[in-house]
Amino acid sequence: MSKVMGAVNRKDGRAKVTGNATYAAEHQIPGLLHGYLVTASIGSGQIKSIDTSQAEKAKGVVAVFTHKNPPKIFKPSNNFISSKIYEARLPLSDAQVHYGGQIIGLVVADTFEQAKHAAHLVKVEYETQSPLTEFQKATFKEAPPFMGEELKFEKGNVATVNNAAVKIEATYTTTTELNAPMEPHAIIAQWQGADALTIYEPTQWVMGSQRTYAELFGLPAERVRIITPYLGGGFGSKAMPWPHGILCAAVARHLQRPVKVVLSRRQMTVNAGHRSETEQTIGLAAAADGKLMAIAHDVKSSTSPVDTFTEPCTRVTPVMYSAPNLRYAQELAIMNVGTPTFMRAPGENPGMWALESAMDELAWSLKLDPVELRLRNQTQEHQHQNLPFSAKHFTDCLKVGAERFGWKDRSRQVRSLLRDGQLVGWGMAGATFPALQGVATVKVRLLPDSTVHVLTAGNDMGTGAYTMVAGVAAETLGVSVEKVRVEMGDSQLPDGGMAGGSMMTASLAPAVIKACQDVLKSADCNDATDAWAALRQSGRAAFEATATSAPPEGEKKWAFQSWGAHFCEVTVDEEIGRLQITRWLSVMDIGRVMNAKTAASQVRGGVIMGIGQALMEECLLDPNIGYPVVYDLATYHFPSHADIPRIDVVFVGEPDLNFNLAGARGVGEIGITGVSAVIANAVYHATGKRIRSLPLTPEKLMADFRALTADETRDAQEMKELIASNKSHERVAGHSQNV
Amino acid sequence: MNNFSYSRATSVQNAVQRASTDKNAMFIAGGTNLVDRLKVFLDEPSQLIDVSRLEMKQLEPLASGGLRIGSLVTNTALADAPEVRRNYPMLARAILSGASQQIRNVATVGGNILQRTRCPYYYDTAFPCNKREPDSGCPALTGINRTHALLGASDQCVAVHPSDMCVALAALDAVVEVTGPKGKRQIPFGDFHRLPGNTPERDTNLEPEELITAILLPPLPFAKSGVYLKLRDRASYAFALISVAAAVDLAEEQIKDVRLAIGGVAHKPWRSQEAEQFLIGKAANAATFEEAAKIALQSAKPLAHNRFKVELAKRAIKRSLMLSAAGGVV
Ligand SMILES: Cc1cc2nc3c(=O)[nH]c(=O)nc-3n(C[C@H](O)[C@H](O)[C@H](O)COP(=O)(O)OP(=O)(O)OC[C@H]3O[C@@H](n4cnc5c(N)ncnc54)[C@H](O)[C@@H]3O)c2cc1C
Repeated sequence: MSKVMGAVNRKDGRAKVTGNATYAAEHQIPGLLHGYLVTASIGSGQIKSIDTSQAEKAKGVVAVFTHKNPPKIFKPSNNFISSKIYEARLPLSDAQVHYGGQIIGLVVADTFEQAKHAAHLVKVEYETQSPLTEFQKATFKEAPPFMGEELKFEKGNVATVNNAAVKIEATYTTTTELNAPMEPHAIIAQWQGADALTIYEPTQWVMGSQRTYAELFGLPAERVRIITPYLGGGFGSKAMPWPHGILCAAVARHLQRPVKVVLSRRQMTVNAGHRSETEQTIGLAAAADGKLMAIAHDVKSSTSPVDTFTEPCTRVTPVMYSAPNLRYAQELAIMNVGTPTFMRAPGENPGMWALESAMDELAWSLKLDPVELRLRNQTQEHQHQNLPFSAKHFTDCLKVGAERFGWKDRSRQVRSLLRDGQLVGWGMAGATFPALQGVATVKVRLLPDSTVHVLTAGNDMGTGAYTMVAGVAAETLGVSVEKVRVEMGDSQLPDGGMAGGSMMTASLAPAVIKACQDVLKSADCNDATDAWAALRQSGRAAFEATATSAPPEGEKKWAFQSWGAHFCEVTVDEEIGRLQITRWLSVMDIGRVMNAKTAASQVRGGVIMGIGQALMEECLLDPNIGYPVVYDLATYHFPSHADIPRIDVVFVGEPDLNFNLAGARGVGEIGITGVSAVIANAVYHATGKRIRSLPLTPEKLMADFRALTADETRDAQEMKELIASNKSHERVAGHSQNV
Repeated sequence: MNNFSYSRATSVQNAVQRASTDKNAMFIAGGTNLVDRLKVFLDEPSQLIDVSRLEMKQLEPLASGGLRIGSLVTNTALADAPEVRRNYPMLARAILSGASQQIRNVATVGGNILQRTRCPYYYDTAFPCNKREPDSGCPALTGINRTHALLGASDQCVAVHPSDMCVALAALDAVVEVTGPKGKRQIPFGDFHRLPGNTPERDTNLEPEELITAILLPPLPFAKSGVYLKLRDRASYAFALISVAAAVDLAEEQIKDVRLAIGGVAHKPWRSQEAEQFLIGKAANAATFEEAAKIALQSAKPLAHNRFKVELAKRAIKRSLMLSAAGGVV
C-alpha cells in the first residue's frame, strides 16, 4: 500500500481516441425522436401568449410542449440524500420567465433538424419586466448555509485590532464563468412501458440521478437505470438533472417513445450552470514580523430566482492562515440569471483568488518574501472546525516550489525585469482543497480465465478513474493492470458514489482495496495467481467480494485538506496590453498519488482552466435584455494551446492514512485554486499594477501605460543574466514523493 | 434551418445566370461562415449554388508585377504561397492570425471577404438587430459593446467587419474582380465594403447575383517590410480587438510612402489615408508615428465599453509603423 503506482496510461485512452467510447448522445436507439428546446428571449416577465400552431404543422413534428400542456412531473424532495435537482423550479411549470434563455418549450420531431426548425417557428409574446442582471445593482442578504455548512464565523474580534504594523483592505472580483465541458449536456430517455425508465446521460453521479429521476416520475429507484460509461467533462455541472433532462424524460413517457435532447452551446450559456460573479473584500492586519493578527473576508455572490446557490468562497478563510482574530461572512443576491452551480473548486477557487492576492499585497507592504509570509502564518488546525489537519505538507509545497523555481533569485522590485523590451514578473500563491470521501461500493470478481472484473456505478468523467480502479485492484491482488477489466457508470452496478468534490478516488480506492482483500480471503489465498488456480480447481464461476468504503472514522478527530503552491513567470507587453505566461510550476500535497500521470494531468487541467479564468473567461450578459452575449466556444474564450506554457507538476507529501486505506485525498480541483492569484501577483511584480478584477484583459493590462523611464531601463535586470544563473527551471518535471 | 435546394454551378456564367433568376439564391464556397449562419437562422436561402468546384483556384502573376488571386484559393494556400510570403508578408500574417488551420484549409478568399460580422446581437435571433432585420433596433448601442466599432458607425449599427485578411487587402490597394449578368467589373477594395449608414443590412457593394472571381494585388515593392499586428483576448483563435496592417517605405530616415489599415474598428477594414498623407515626407520616428496614430483615430466615437480600443488602436498603429520602419517581421 505504501508505494506509488507510478505513471500508468489511461485504460480508456485508446477507445477515446479511436471513437469507440460511446458518449450519451451517441447511443443508437431504434425509433428515437429528437427534442429541441424553445427558450425565452427576454430576461424577466410573463409569457402572454405562445403560438405553436406553425411549429406543430412543420414537417416531422410529433409534439410541442409548453407551460400550457406540460408533461407530468412530480416535485422531488430535493435534499441531496433522497434526490437533488439543480433548479428547484420544474420546467414549464408556469408562464413566468425568470431569466433570459429559460426553457419555455420543447419541440419533438423525427429528426434533430426538423425539431430545431420547428422550435424557431414558435411565436411568443411577453409581458416584459426589466431584468436585474447587474451585480452592482443587486440587493444582497445574508447567505444561507452551504450544504449544511455555516458561511459565517468569527473568533476573537477583528474590529479591535489596532496595534498592527501593517493593515490592508482590498476588494477582488470575478466574473460569470461557464463550466463549458467539451461534451455538451445531452440526454436520451427511453421508457419500457409506464414504469421503467432507461436514461443515457452524462452524469457525475449515477446513483443520485437514479434516485432523483425515480422521484420525479413516482417510481421506485430500481425501475430507473442510468447509463454513463463516459463523460466528456462536467466540472460540477453534470451531477444532477437540469430542467432539459427532466423535460426530456417526462416527454418520452408522455409519448412512449425514446427522446433525445442535446443542448446547443448557446443554450449551455444559461441552462447548464455557471460560476456566479463574486465580489470579495479581504482585510488583513499583521505585526512587523509578518504574523497575522486579523483576517476578515466578506463575500457577495448571486443566484437565480429559481434556486439558491452560494459560491462558498469563505471555506478557504479558516484553513489557510492562522490569526487570533478571524471573521468571515457571505451575502447572496437574487438576479435574473440562469442558476449558478458547482464549478471546479466552487468557493475555493474564487476564495483563493482574493486571499492569495491579498497575501501578496501584504507581503509587498511588509517588504517580506511572500513565501516566507505564508510559512510564518500556516495554521495546523482548521480554525472553524477546531480540528488539527490530519496531514499538512504546505511547507514542502512552498519550499520545494521556491527551490525548483529559483525563487531566491527573484528581483525585489516591481518593474525591474526586462526581456526583449517586455516587462517580466514572477508570482507565487498557495493552493488548497478539502479532502472529501463518500460512501462507495465495489464488487470484485476473480474469473477462471485469469482476469479480474471490477464493477461499480461510480464513474469516470474523464479524469482517469477507470485507470485508478484497475491500478489499485492490480496492486492489491498482485497482478498486472492488463488483467483487470473495469466496468463503471451504470446504476445496475454497486453504488459508487459521486464523481464530484474531488472525492471519486478517495471513495473508490479504499473500497477496491477492501473488496480485493476480501476476495483473496474468501479464496484463502495470498495473491490472485493462487486464487485463480484454486478457482479453476473448484469449478466455480468466480470468486467474488463486495466492499463498501465509508467516510473516515477520524472525521471527528481530524480535518482533511490538500495543499499546494504555484509559481509562475509572465511577460507583459504593457503598451499593447499583451500578456504571455512563460513558466509554470505547481507543487502539490494530495496524500498518496495513485497514478502520477493522470494526477499530473488533473493538476495541469486545473491550471489551464485557472489561466482561462485569470485571463479571458467572462460570460457577459446584455444588461437590458438579460441574455448572454457569448454564444459558442469562439466567443466564450478559454485558453488555446498558444496561451499555455509548459506546466511542471511536482508532488510532495505522503499517504494520508488517517483519511483512508489508500491514503489518497483526490486531485481534481486543487489545481485550479490559487491560479489567478499567482498570475495577478506576477503581473504586479512585472508592472507595479495591482489588478483586482478578473479577467486580466488587455484593457486592464494596458491601462495607465507609461514607458519605462531611462533610470528604470538602466536599473532593470536583463532576464538573460538571471536565467543563465538559474538553470533550475529547465529540470524535467519530477514526481517526487516521499513515500 | 429552412429547406433549400443545393446544386453545383457548372461555370461562372451558369452560377451568375442562376443567381440572377432567383433572388433568394446564395453562393457557397468553403461554407465555413455560411453554414454556421444557416444553422442559426441568419440566412434562409431558397437554394445554395455551390461554386467551390469552378476554375477560380489559380494564383497567377500579373504582367504589372502584382498577383491575381482566384476567389477559390484557400486561405491556407494563399498564406503559404512563396510570392505572398515574400512580397506581401502582411497578407500571409493576417491570414495565419485568423481562425484555425482546419478552417483556413477550406475557407476561400472570396468567402473570407464576404464573411459577416460576429456581433453577438446579429448572431442570435433572440435579439433585435438592424442588420438582420431592418428597423428592429440595435441593442449593442446600449448593451455590451466592448468589441464594437469606433469609426464610421451609425446609430443603426455599430458592428465591425471581422476579417483579418481584408485589413491587409485594404492596405495593399487590392481590387475585387466580379462577374455579374452584365459581365465583369472591378471594384477597388476601399469601395467594396460599406459603412452601415441607414442600410446596415448591406455589408458590401456587391450585387446578390454577382460572383467574385478574383482579387488583384498591384505590385508594391515596399510591402516587403509590411507587418500585421493582431491584438485579441487570447493568443490564438479569436477575432481581433484591434489589428493593424502597415508598411513604411523609407528613404534615408524619411517616409517616402506608407500604407496603413486598421481592423476591429469599423464596419469595413479601415484604411487611414489621412494618417498616410500626414506621414509622407516626415521623419520616421516614434513621435511622428504617434501623431499619425492620433490622426487615424481622431474621429473615433467610442461606446460605453470600447473606449480602451481607441488608445489600443493608437498604440498598435505606432508599434506597427515602428516595426515596419525597422524592416518588418515575418
Ligand atoms: C470559429 C471560426 C473562427 C474564425 N476566426 C477568424 C479570424 O480570426 N479571422 C478571420 O479573418 N476570419 C475568421 N474566421 C472566418 C473565416 O475566415 C471565414 O469563415 C472564411 O474565410 C469564409 O470562407 P468560405 O469559403 O468558407 O465562405 P462561405 O462560408 O462559403 O461563404 C461566405 C459568404 O460568401 C459568399 N461567397 C462565397 N464565395 C463567393 C464568391 N466567389 N462570390 C460571391 N459570394 C461568395 C457566400 O454566399 C457567403 O455569404 C473564422 C471562422 C470560424 C468558423
